[in-house]
Amino acid sequence: MNMFKLAAGFCFVGAGIAVAAFGSGFVAQTLFQIVLFIMLAIGWNIISGFTGYVSFGQVSFFGLGAYITSIVALQFNVPWYVGLAAAGVIAPVMALPLGLIMLRLSGIYFALGMFGLARILQLIASELEITGGPMGTSIPIADSPQLAAVVCVSATTLVVLLTYALYRSRLGLSLMAIRDDPVAAESIGINTFKAKIIAFCISAAVGGIGGALYVWNIGFVDPASAFSGTIELQCVLIVLAGGIGTAFGPVIGGLIISSFSTYLWLNFPLEQQAILGIVTMFVAIVTPGGVAGLFANSKLWKRQSLWRPIEAGATLSNVTPFRASGQDRKPILTCQSISVHFGGVRAVNSVDVTAYRGEMLAIIGPNGAGKSTLFNLMSSFLKPTAGRVELNGISIVGKKAYTLPHQGLVRTFQTSRLFSSLSVWENILVAANSRYGKKAEAIAAATKALVDVDLLSHWQDSVDQLTPGQQRLLEIARSLVFEPEVLLLDEAMAGMTMHEIGRVHQALKRLMSRGAAVVAIEHVLPAIAPLAARVHVLDFGTTVAEGIPAEVMRNPLVVEAYMGREDAESEKQHA
Amino acid sequence: MYQTLISLLVLGLLWGGVFLLLAGGLNLIYGVMKVVNLAHGDFIVLAGLMAFSLYEIGFNPLVSLPIVALALFALGGFTQFGLLEHIKGSGPTAELRTLLATFGFSYVVSNISFLIWGSQFQSIPFLQGAVVIGGIALPEALLVCSFVAFALSAAVHLWLTRTKHGKSVRAVAQSSLGAETCGVDVRKVRFLAFSVGSAMAGAAGALLICLIPFQATSGGEMTVQAFTLIALGGLGSYVGAFLAAELLGIAEVMTQYFLGANGAAGIIYVVFVAVLIFRPSGLLGKAGRV
Repeated sequence: MNMFKLAAGFCFVGAGIAVAAFGSGFVAQTLFQIVLFIMLAIGWNIISGFTGYVSFGQVSFFGLGAYITSIVALQFNVPWYVGLAAAGVIAPVMALPLGLIMLRLSGIYFALGMFGLARILQLIASELEITGGPMGTSIPIADSPQLAAVVCVSATTLVVLLTYALYRSRLGLSLMAIRDDPVAAESIGINTFKAKIIAFCISAAVGGIGGALYVWNIGFVDPASAFSGTIELQCVLIVLAGGIGTAFGPVIGGLIISSFSTYLWLNFPLEQQAILGIVTMFVAIVTPGGVAGLFANSKLWKRQSLWRPIEAGATLSNVTPFRASGQDRKPILTCQSISVHFGGVRAVNSVDVTAYRGEMLAIIGPNGAGKSTLFNLMSSFLKPTAGRVELNGISIVGKKAYTLPHQGLVRTFQTSRLFSSLSVWENILVAANSRYGKKAEAIAAATKALVDVDLLSHWQDSVDQLTPGQQRLLEIARSLVFEPEVLLLDEAMAGMTMHEIGRVHQALKRLMSRGAAVVAIEHVLPAIAPLAARVHVLDFGTTVAEGIPAEVMRNPLVVEAYMGREDAESEKQHA
Repeated sequence: MYQTLISLLVLGLLWGGVFLLLAGGLNLIYGVMKVVNLAHGDFIVLAGLMAFSLYEIGFNPLVSLPIVALALFALGGFTQFGLLEHIKGSGPTAELRTLLATFGFSYVVSNISFLIWGSQFQSIPFLQGAVVIGGIALPEALLVCSFVAFALSAAVHLWLTRTKHGKSVRAVAQSSLGAETCGVDVRKVRFLAFSVGSAMAGAAGALLICLIPFQATSGGEMTVQAFTLIALGGLGSYVGAFLAAELLGIAEVMTQYFLGANGAAGIIYVVFVAVLIFRPSGLLGKAGRV
């Protein structure tokens, strides 16, 4: 943030507090309403915008906060600020077990599951005595509307700053990576479940404080308004109108939508929902990016990359590979008669593969031979039906996929899986952050990886500005950041120019020279033949042949697998 | 006790028919659009309240059923053609936008119902008697409604499997791109699926209001109920949907009897979350892969 923006924000908040403190009761109430919804929308944006888990039950946390405050205030007779703080602490604590259940769901299941959660909580609140039952209960009210408004504006300002900090943090970057591609995020060692839980709890804390402010301001709480659908609708609409997944979208959307909705509430209380519904549809259909989307490319609004590469040639002197390298030919990744069956389909059937330190193993075979499935088994994205997979002599069967990069095994995917909303630099940085604890180390490693694949000059670009070959290079660089002991490349060089393939060869040679193993699936054999020490041929999920490249390529079974029986026979006759 | 359990079981099985129709329309729309119509429950409520008004001016509910279904057919067609079809693009982003648009639309529909009918619970007193079969008293209204609902669900199933239009709907549900390359007019199919699905919601609403009272804002609950059913049955599976409908019918009747109305309202969400966690691909679905 530059000085200009900082000053503008400061004036803006100052004006808000002045209006809240010295305005009439009506003005303070209106301001309270508008600002409260900004806060609630920010809460929704953290889980649904940053993390991509669209929820239709954010009002659950609002209601939880409202009831926590009312119970604390009535049972313990504490001052108002203790009640607010209690909501901010207890709501996320209660959200933790809920998140452990709900975040196993995704997409529409999560969205509707959260809607159900709000309804369950509403039913519980109507049944219990401590909550005041279906008719609700009165609680101590704020001394004046002006006080409530000042507190609301200040609290919301804090929440805005907190969101901005999150947006510009390692965690924020990981959350956005998860939103773009959860599988790719796992593959670079991000514990996606943990990150989502944290986002869920932060979102709950914000929603909880919002609910607490609400009941303190009106001095009353009841199940229908604490878990009201109108509140949910407004949260969604505000974020949508402002720009989903942006840092300041909810603030701008909140000012517009919340003012409009307050106006509706005063003049068309009965029709408010329908009108807001129509606006939601309009925004969803016509301007999905919201206000932020309209100015997405203006300099003032464009998302700036988190941190930046080191200017001159970087060194990685302080970073060491996983284990001391050795030139002796030792097995590092071994699969012993592994099989995986999908129903009746034996995708991989009793295959033995071993990758040795310092050399490349090429895995080839026709389409549908089970090559990518084998990779999924090696990287623990799939659990084998039978057999063992060992990394450095330790079984990795049943391990979570995100733990393997931290033990030295990294993979890429057959189709490009970059994080589309992050810049080229951030695509690398998010992996570097997952590997290295210190900021300086992560930046150095990410810079080095970008230099390795010649993409440093593109660091600020978005990934769709790259050529397909460059995108594949970026993916390889993302795995090189880990300085892995075992690198699994799934058709990584498809679509690259000869020059780009040369770049990759250099990087792989360097990796192998210090004792790492590379396992590469390729269709185009020349792309890896010069590097491969051994070739393993798969067809119909079983091993057809293995050995040094020249021998394997003359094996009649291999020729048959690639060209079919008749062609192979006619070839024999010609010979 | 034994007698009670048997009669609860039979009642649950009958309710299953109504549930099947209630969710069938959503399943059809989900299959083709890959998006849940969040206004589905509000469509059901709107249809039920329309049937209620027709009843007040002297229509038998079974006569108003086709009228209401036709009205909802038109509403569904408008929703798809007038609104959702204008969402450009494809893939997850477009699906999210469609979802959010139906989210907004659900509020529009329920608010309009509220403006017309207010917030009172309404119901049609239809066939108040009971038939006693083998010592079990079965409400006539439930028997008739369940029968009609089963018949309508079966009719739609036949339409989907035996007619050319129905087959193109299934083709689009399985692969939109594949259907398009075979010369199926995908736009038309989306329109058709949305209209027929909404008409099913309409018929379900007209039957449901003869059985239980509901109000303008009951829609959200019904959307979740319908979605739970198709999730439990496995999306797109007809046998699964039938089993799920019967299971939910029994669960609902049992909890209603043993835990009261709030318990029954809560059980649906508990089942919902439990299903998604333990059988994410439904009762009969197969496990997915990476």
